[in-house]
Amino acid sequence: MTRRLTAFSCAALAFGFTVLPALAEEKSAWRLFVSDHAAPVVRAIDAETGKVLANFATNGPATLHRSESGRTVFAVQGKSDMISVISSGLSMGDHGDHGDLKIEAPSLLEAAFPGAKPSHFVDHHGDIALFFDGEGVARTIAEKEVLAGSKTAREVKTAAPHHGVAVAFGSHVLVSEPNSEKPDELPVGIRVVDATGAPVGDVHSCPDLHGEASSGNILAIACAEGLLLVKAGDDTPSIELLPYGEGLPEGKSTTLVGGRGLQYFLGNYGPSAVVVIDPTAKDAFRLIELPARRVHFAVDPARPKFAYVFTEDGRLHRIDVLAGQIVGTLALTEPYSMDGHWSDPRPRIAVAGDSIIVSDPLKGLLHVVDAGSFTETGNIPVEGKPFNVVAIGGSGETH
Amino acid sequence: MLSKFRLALLATVITLSPAALATASAEPLKVIASFSIIGDFAKNVGGERVEVTTLVGPDGDAHVYEPKPADAVAMAGADVVLVNGLHFEGFLERLVETSGAKAQIVELTKGIEPLKMQEEHEAEGEAHEAEGEAHDAAAEEEEEEEGHHHGDTDPHAFQSIANAKIYVKNIADAFCAADAEGCDAYKANAEAYTQKLAAAEDEVKAAVASIPEDKRVIITSHDAFGYFEHEYGLTFLAPEGVSTEAEASAADVAALIRQVREDKASAIFVESITNARLAEQIATETGLKIGGTLYSDALSAADGPAPTYIDLMRNNIATIKGAILGS
Repeated sequence: MTRRLTAFSCAALAFGFTVLPALAEEKSAWRLFVSDHAAPVVRAIDAETGKVLANFATNGPATLHRSESGRTVFAVQGKSDMISVISSGLSMGDHGDHGDLKIEAPSLLEAAFPGAKPSHFVDHHGDIALFFDGEGVARTIAEKEVLAGSKTAREVKTAAPHHGVAVAFGSHVLVSEPNSEKPDELPVGIRVVDATGAPVGDVHSCPDLHGEASSGNILAIACAEGLLLVKAGDDTPSIELLPYGEGLPEGKSTTLVGGRGLQYFLGNYGPSAVVVIDPTAKDAFRLIELPARRVHFAVDPARPKFAYVFTEDGRLHRIDVLAGQIVGTLALTEPYSMDGHWSDPRPRIAVAGDSIIVSDPLKGLLHVVDAGSFTETGNIPVEGKPFNVVAIGGSGETH
Repeated sequence: MLSKFRLALLATVITLSPAALATASAEPLKVIASFSIIGDFAKNVGGERVEVTTLVGPDGDAHVYEPKPADAVAMAGADVVLVNGLHFEGFLERLVETSGAKAQIVELTKGIEPLKMQEEHEAEGEAHEAEGEAHDAAAEEEEEEEGHHHGDTDPHAFQSIANAKIYVKNIADAFCAADAEGCDAYKANAEAYTQKLAAAEDEVKAAVASIPEDKRVIITSHDAFGYFEHEYGLTFLAPEGVSTEAEASAADVAALIRQVREDKASAIFVESITNARLAEQIATETGLKIGGTLYSDALSAADGPAPTYIDLMRNNIATIKGAILGS
């Protein structure tokens, strides 16, 4: 498979905002990091050629998360009590009027974070927070320290092991508060602790806490009755509840993703809908019904107007975030029923520049969809059951 | 002669009441202003012939602004989009693309003399040298990670009233291009507003002249006042660069504190759009007192001290003068 993945800076050039210095060569590179549903391996694949650049052995099957900077991929091995970290080999330097792209081989970093039942990974502006459900402990560390080989993370302990989450928010850490009577159920709120680990203020109520995302300067955390919106305050984070709109049917979000380039959130809402959330708008929630049960969804970081949802009937839907509706549908795979275990192998979406990548674990494929025309333009065969996929790349100059 | 007389009469009437000439039945020109200062300029030039939507509002920080879906919708329906340019609005490219805007994008800094931001690096180099630090590969890499801006142009051209006059002329030209019928009104409004700007500039120059030359060094949070410095003669030092996005490093702050002591700065000011903590830290370490709040990249809310551009400039120079001469 040979495809040229055009980088997202082309639009900037088209508008004439960017003046490139002479004697610099512009390059683009995109890499896909793909975990297997059953095997303990993460594959790094060149998105342009489909060539496997490296296979990284892990302790167990992993869920993958890319950092905001794109320099690292965290492989969370929930059943193997380990989080491994892979250097993507790509780094983008922001030089104001242009960006530089540095291309190196992907590699497994020395830094690894063992702990019981690791679950949620959150990167907030370069500060990583890892939560270990089996211990009820959050470990936070700056990405640049991870890249430098450090394994020393700051620990924040909660009252009990639980399925939780933490966010390193400047000098504070936001950490889920377990249900004291039933810690095996979802957390009941968010606690803020300062740099010394001391609690700041009361616990912010957030029953059934599950799901968080950042967009711009807002961090949103999903609760039973709405979203907690967190912003930087003068001394401590400011936190307020945005209740679900009255026009919404009964339900809640439990997974959020944050818009890039536009400040909004996309959340699940019931099995067959998603909700577009603009926290600053009068009508903050716009429900979009789907034609079938939802499998996975993602925002497009290069074309902020669009987000994508994959449904169990094997179709990928393009959502116009501004219009709040589905504007395209593309049949891609055989049906993947949402009946059965929640963690059965089902497709996942990632956006790599001008391509939308959809994993097809039962066929051993990554489908490649052109984001401009919204048509399938090729596929990348991958050994085993390619499951989680993250895309890292971009364009820049090499001096 | 007759036509000249008519034009003069028209201009006079417009000066007195721009609204009176707006065609009652005509749809107002839909104008997007990227941030509050440009919004104020646009209202002064356009009067009631225009409907101005400002993206980054009072007390907002355009350096780190993340546009909302509603901004894209407004952009799509705009007739004219007024922006600063010089990479001031980092959010702009993608917003324009996302919205599918067909309007003319007008960079108001066209025609100004841009200032380069090179002092930052020179100062850093000196600091490293003074401390005998090895500027090794690792340090360079860290610098890259944090985003260095070599050769950056200072985008805050509006901090010189002389440049503000150019912004106003560019706005009038853009409105004329989009609405030929209203062109005379726009030009007359621009002329009247330019006279007010000139009066405000005279006040600023007089205020600076009243400050002894050895007391004209002051500290702010980020490098927003380069054009003010260039035009009117005060020296501004700042720990943050031209953008508020990149936080100052410990080395930046240490170098600044050393510079403050060497240059005997007269006062330190917080900015309305930045966290005061850094300024407070420098004040504590140098013994300087916080002299007040300066408005750099945004107007204040209507009930604040800088709800218009002219108020902003008057407030800033009055705050600076008061802090220096009162100290």
